[in-house]
Amino acid sequence: MDNILSLLIGLIFLAGLATPLLYRIWQKNTGIYLAVIPLIIFVVLISELFQLAPRESSVLETTMGFLPGMEFAFRIDGLSLIFGLLISGIGVLILLHASYYMAKYERQANFYTYLMFFMGAMIGMVFSDNLLVLFVFWEITSVASFFLIGFDHHAEKSRQAALQALLITGFGGLCLFFAVILTGNITGTYVISELLEQSIHLGNHPYYYLILTLTILAAVTKSAQFPFHFWLPGAMQAPTPVSAYLHSATMVNAGIFLLMRIYPIMGGTMMWKYSLMLTGVITMFLGAFFAMGQRDFKRILAFTTISALGTMTLLVGIDTPDSLKAALIFFIVHGLYKGGLFMIAGIIDKSTGTRDIYDLHGLFKKMPVTAIVTLLALISMAGLPPMLGFIGKELIYEAKMQLPDVSWLLLPLGVGANMLMVAISITVFYELFIPDKKRKPIELKYRERDLPLRFILGPILLAVVGLFLGLSPKILEIPVDNGLYFMGNQMAHISLSLWHGFNDVLILSIFTVLSGIFIFYIRRPVTRMIGRIITWLDHLHLPTLFSQLINKYLKTAAKNTNLLQHGYHRFYLLTFFLAVIALMGIQIFRITDIQLPELTPSPIKIHVALLLLVTAISVIFAVFAKSRLSAILAMGVVGYGIAMLYLYYGAIDLAITQFLAETVLMVLFVMVIYYLPEFAILSNKKSRLRDGIISVAVGVFVTLVVLKAKFLNLETPISEFFAANSYTEAHGRNIVNVILVDFRALDTLGELTVLTLAAAGVYSLFRFQIKTLKKKKSGQQKPRENVDNKMHG
Amino acid sequence: MNNIILEKIARLFLRVIAVMSVLLLLRGHNSPGGGFIGGIVLATGFIYYGIIFGSDRIQSIIYFNTRIWMGIGLGLVLVAAVIPVFVGQAPLTGLWYIGEWPLVGTMHIGTPLLFDTGIFVGVTGLILSVIITIMEVLKWNT
Repeated sequence: MDNILSLLIGLIFLAGLATPLLYRIWQKNTGIYLAVIPLIIFVVLISELFQLAPRESSVLETTMGFLPGMEFAFRIDGLSLIFGLLISGIGVLILLHASYYMAKYERQANFYTYLMFFMGAMIGMVFSDNLLVLFVFWEITSVASFFLIGFDHHAEKSRQAALQALLITGFGGLCLFFAVILTGNITGTYVISELLEQSIHLGNHPYYYLILTLTILAAVTKSAQFPFHFWLPGAMQAPTPVSAYLHSATMVNAGIFLLMRIYPIMGGTMMWKYSLMLTGVITMFLGAFFAMGQRDFKRILAFTTISALGTMTLLVGIDTPDSLKAALIFFIVHGLYKGGLFMIAGIIDKSTGTRDIYDLHGLFKKMPVTAIVTLLALISMAGLPPMLGFIGKELIYEAKMQLPDVSWLLLPLGVGANMLMVAISITVFYELFIPDKKRKPIELKYRERDLPLRFILGPILLAVVGLFLGLSPKILEIPVDNGLYFMGNQMAHISLSLWHGFNDVLILSIFTVLSGIFIFYIRRPVTRMIGRIITWLDHLHLPTLFSQLINKYLKTAAKNTNLLQHGYHRFYLLTFFLAVIALMGIQIFRITDIQLPELTPSPIKIHVALLLLVTAISVIFAVFAKSRLSAILAMGVVGYGIAMLYLYYGAIDLAITQFLAETVLMVLFVMVIYYLPEFAILSNKKSRLRDGIISVAVGVFVTLVVLKAKFLNLETPISEFFAANSYTEAHGRNIVNVILVDFRALDTLGELTVLTLAAAGVYSLFRFQIKTLKKKKSGQQKPRENVDNKMHG
Repeated sequence: MNNIILEKIARLFLRVIAVMSVLLLLRGHNSPGGGFIGGIVLATGFIYYGIIFGSDRIQSIIYFNTRIWMGIGLGLVLVAAVIPVFVGQAPLTGLWYIGEWPLVGTMHIGTPLLFDTGIFVGVTGLILSVIITIMEVLKWNT
């Protein structure tokens, strides 16, 4: 029973793979049926939640894994439960919502595949108990989000946005990978539970700053923090349900999760505090500021997400028990209201055909349910009672006030951001739902009554949960308490309540709300001013700068490639041989202390000498041959001669292979020779002389190296190991074959892959020609020009 | 080019070589041979056949496209590489079953054989792919 969670996570991926088939059966209801899996996970997690003791975590072991040391083990504690509950719960609602929203899209099966992979990777990531597995899931979310953001792949814009998101989060992923490997090397384990139990802290290690920088880069790129925030508004190109999921519970919150997860291992130092606080506070304010200047409902929400993520980063950076508590609570708050608001944006978009809030007005009468739900979500976003958002905001203020040395910076910016949030909330509600008598009423495409329940269920449920948790926040205490315990804060019981008493935090809240209302009254000049600042800032438009950077990179890469890959086979060979001579020359002159054994003449074997003579003559003949056929035949003689030599010295497998390869080459050549241009000597004397010198030099150096290698024994030869273990370990008497298929099987695997690629390359080079040939054969009556045109066009 | 003697020989030759190559593959672990060598030998048989009958006839004998055969080869190799993971070993570890068989006596059967078979199929496929492509471009015997 305990392992059911791991099975369920696997089931998500399986369902994702099977969607193309399932879609044929279930058609438009695919989303509804798929929602069952996250629903089961949600229920399982809820039951885990009630069994959770405040100071305990459990680890579900599985023997399966990518590699030894990379087993799938799942860790259940307060942190992973909170994240897991939100991801699976909102996932259910998103799938239901999407099953209506996406009904008219093409390629729905693919959409669900990507979405399921995204969901599975997120859940896998928050529960994984192994840093390497966590990294793999982290990367899967990046790749899945690439496909989701670029789902509308006909539009240039979405492709661009998807690529940008992938490049930035991919960069972060690489950073995380290095950080994970360094951590694993230093501590000797990748298992998170072990790291926590041994209470290892990397703070004193010389590599600490490197690891921390890499980890923070990973978190900051994923969570769209300044200066990497720009990919998130671009990600708006995704279908709305995806945006809702990406913003509320998944993807961007992964960075926050990572910071909380590794906090006990590397958190709490000066660098941790100041770097996170700085980026967090800038992001928090910038996000709110930019959100005020937007018209598109989705873009407004996107910028508020950036602001909220900045708040969470800041809170993790402040690094007091209170701030970590605030960060966890605020994650829940944000997930609940942001998921709801995005789905509402989808509903409004579907019903009215626009998302520009200044084009809309007076929707209250026509969409009363949506309006009330929006109101609740916005109250939570503004941080007003009785929603959970109020508790979150109070905790944030409390945390910020506890830091006397930096609160002069944090408090004004924090209060400023919150004022803007209040103003944005009121503006959005006012513009959308309050009727304006001067304008004519909005015509709806669908009446609210006609919308199916599953479409508006999501925002309703999320708003209700937000209200419920706001009124009885005690439920959250156990998981938050447990999560905090494992983040290394040995703190006593925490208590959450709506009413904190009349203190300075409350006064600050009242001040914020009043200022927010004031900003709302003067919103027109304010938005105009912000709009002007945004236009001015467009000189520094980060997405454009970023794509310019990428373009420049590509251009440089192309230049270098052209330089190296010039397309002249003879010069490739030249480069190769010169490099070989240089490397061997270094080796020959570097190692001087060898003792030559006494040379004793051994009897010359006549047949070997004859063989060598024939081979040598054929080489010379090949060089000076006057026709191509005779040159190639001479080369064939050389090949067979070498194969014979192998035979004499007992390398039978090698000899057979050489014979066969030579034969196949010969056949190929005979086939092609008829079609080659006439034989001519096109090179001048100088270049032939140069080539001659180089080839002689290669020959001499190879001989020298081989001779020298015979008298040098730097390491014990590995051949003895092979000879000793070939039959006992690998059940084979033919050592060459055992090496190929067992000892060095990975090499063989690589070689076969390369050869297959080469064959595919040959095919694709000629594919077009073959197709035209076949077409010509099948339709002789077609005029010739037609075919040629097609070939060039 | 219609030459009855050549055609007869080619047909016979292909069969003999096919049997030979499988033999080389199977005995490869203990005596000279193996998947790589067996693959090239089988490919030479097909090349000879193709030179006389044209590439379309090779295609009709091997049933699948050569690129699919390459894929099958790679797939077998991968399967052999992955199987040990499911019993908790590192990938590419050789797993062996040693048993008494009727007729042949004691025999060792293991994942390396599957691996070698993958190489056999893959090498045959890729040589044939190149040869057939070139034959088609040259319009050999069509």
